[in-house]
Amino acid sequence: MISLLRSVRDLFVSLRLTVTLLLLGMLLIFAATLDQVNLGTWAVQQKYFHSFIIYAPVGRFAVPVFPGGYLIGGLVLLNLIAAHVYRFAFTWRKFGIQLAHSGLILLLVGELLSGLWQRDYHMRLSDRETKNYGESYRDNELVVIDTSDATFDQVVAIPEGVVAKKASIQHPKLPFRVVPKTYYPNSMLQARTTAAPPEAVNQATAGFGETIVAIPQPVTYRPNESNTPTAFVEIVGSDKSVGVFLVSTQIVMPQEFSYMGRTWKIAMRPTRAYQPFSLTLLKFSHDRYPGTEIPKNFSSSLRLKTPNGHDDRDVLIYMNSPLRYAGVTVYQAGFENNDRTTILQVVRNPSWILPYIACALMSLGLSLQFGMHLFGFIRKRSAQLRNSSSATSQLPRPSPAVGSVPVASAVIAPRGVRP
Amino acid sequence: MNRFLFPVTSALLVLFLSSCRDQEVVAYRVPKETDPKAETPPAARAEVSAVPVAAGPMSGTPVATASGAGLSWTAPAHWQTKSPGAMRKGSYSITGADGSVADLSITAFPGDVGGESANVNRWRGQLQLAPLTDAEVASAITRRDENGLKVGWVELASVSGAAPTRLLGAMVPFGGATWFFKLLGPDATVAAEKPAFLNFLTTLKPAGASTP
Repeated sequence: MISLLRSVRDLFVSLRLTVTLLLLGMLLIFAATLDQVNLGTWAVQQKYFHSFIIYAPVGRFAVPVFPGGYLIGGLVLLNLIAAHVYRFAFTWRKFGIQLAHSGLILLLVGELLSGLWQRDYHMRLSDRETKNYGESYRDNELVVIDTSDATFDQVVAIPEGVVAKKASIQHPKLPFRVVPKTYYPNSMLQARTTAAPPEAVNQATAGFGETIVAIPQPVTYRPNESNTPTAFVEIVGSDKSVGVFLVSTQIVMPQEFSYMGRTWKIAMRPTRAYQPFSLTLLKFSHDRYPGTEIPKNFSSSLRLKTPNGHDDRDVLIYMNSPLRYAGVTVYQAGFENNDRTTILQVVRNPSWILPYIACALMSLGLSLQFGMHLFGFIRKRSAQLRNSSSATSQLPRPSPAVGSVPVASAVIAPRGVRP
Repeated sequence: MNRFLFPVTSALLVLFLSSCRDQEVVAYRVPKETDPKAETPPAARAEVSAVPVAAGPMSGTPVATASGAGLSWTAPAHWQTKSPGAMRKGSYSITGADGSVADLSITAFPGDVGGESANVNRWRGQLQLAPLTDAEVASAITRRDENGLKVGWVELASVSGAAPTRLLGAMVPFGGATWFFKLLGPDATVAAEKPAFLNFLTTLKPAGASTP
């Protein structure tokens, strides 16, 4: 048992593993770059880098074919840490290298944490419009909203992934069960007519989904297309079914129903991330170079407010000058509607600082290491020169007949170039 | 043995963290909101950064047709007729100067198919543009009378990202159905084809009627 653990340890510590992992990493990047043509950037990131294993379809099965980015990166991380624990003894002479390695470890950890924790949303604001939430680019949620209260809406948000499992959902905030009956990750909707294709589905018994059919579509990974999920969801009360609703991100308006004297709404929408502050668009500016249509600057003048009144101030967001507030970074990302609507990108990444610290550590470590080498080299060289000159001073003074070339010059001058 | 603790713990931590995904049902209260239809923005869009945009899965796909009285039209000579398939009333492909191809589909739905607002917002959804309010939709539609037909058309664009896309769409209520003329494709191709598309709309008329 001990020998087995020792061999595992030796494997993790070995330089051979480092080289193998770097090689696998290069192959992974190469394959991902090629596959980007088929899948687009986001899907390639998910498939190749934000995964442990890459699978390839063989018939009806998915066969693991290559280690994914998380596995390779994770092993590189372990390898590096293990090497430090078992192989590298701390010495001041190698402090720079160890500092640089620490930076590299931190960089890998930062990348891992960014992959796991970073969330991106967009916030679209027209003139004088206020919002306190961002919407996901790709994730969707099924929401069931109790609208009975005059001032607040009680929202129960069910991630699309949970809907896809089609299991009955009973939540303490809901007096009924939500039962996804059918789920399509991508679909198109069309009016329910006799000319609907045979694959068209409609199980809806309530809401305006009764007049629409859903036609399943293949999931798209193209960067210029998006999936539009659709689900048939049954609301089941304690004694009977309220009805089956067709919900889809293509249906903008929530559908209403009543249950136990309260009014509810149900909808599928992009996942929202509510923020502890609100932004109001005061003015979006699209500056151009005079006499041309070439953009010079994009900026959004906004009013930032917190519900507790702690903050109520104007902020300006422009290219490369984001707003960092309450743990999120808000970037100027785009515009629309003839410059009347701004598109802001809202990014939450708790580990955003790690790459900066990592780079600083690596820079410091390398500077220190090279500096120490340089300093050592200069010191050694100076000592060499000192020794040479003292040795020269102890030699008998050459007679003028021997030659007039100074010994120091002879030592320094390269071979073959002596005068 | 303790020396193994750190790497093994790290490995487990990596696996554990990787498994953390946002898949929980959550409940929260928010101040009363108006419906998304009544709160969001308008038309042509250009993105500064690489925010993903463009054509949704419904683009260029066939839709169910309405039966009954039909419309006729005259397509420009350079539009290539395609087989309309079972669902389309007409179908054309238009090749741009750079070789890219736009698609023009002619379909008809019974009734008003949810109204102008729903239809325009469906098109906007295909371009990943935010929906408009009824008032904004009404102001975005350009209206004209063509041979006794009430034609309303809009122009939508998402012009950034890897594949800038533009859509010219016209709605024509006729004979208890709504006819849709949708030109969708690469931004430059569709923009260049706009005059031809608008001219094409002037040729619409009830089938069998003669052009005045």
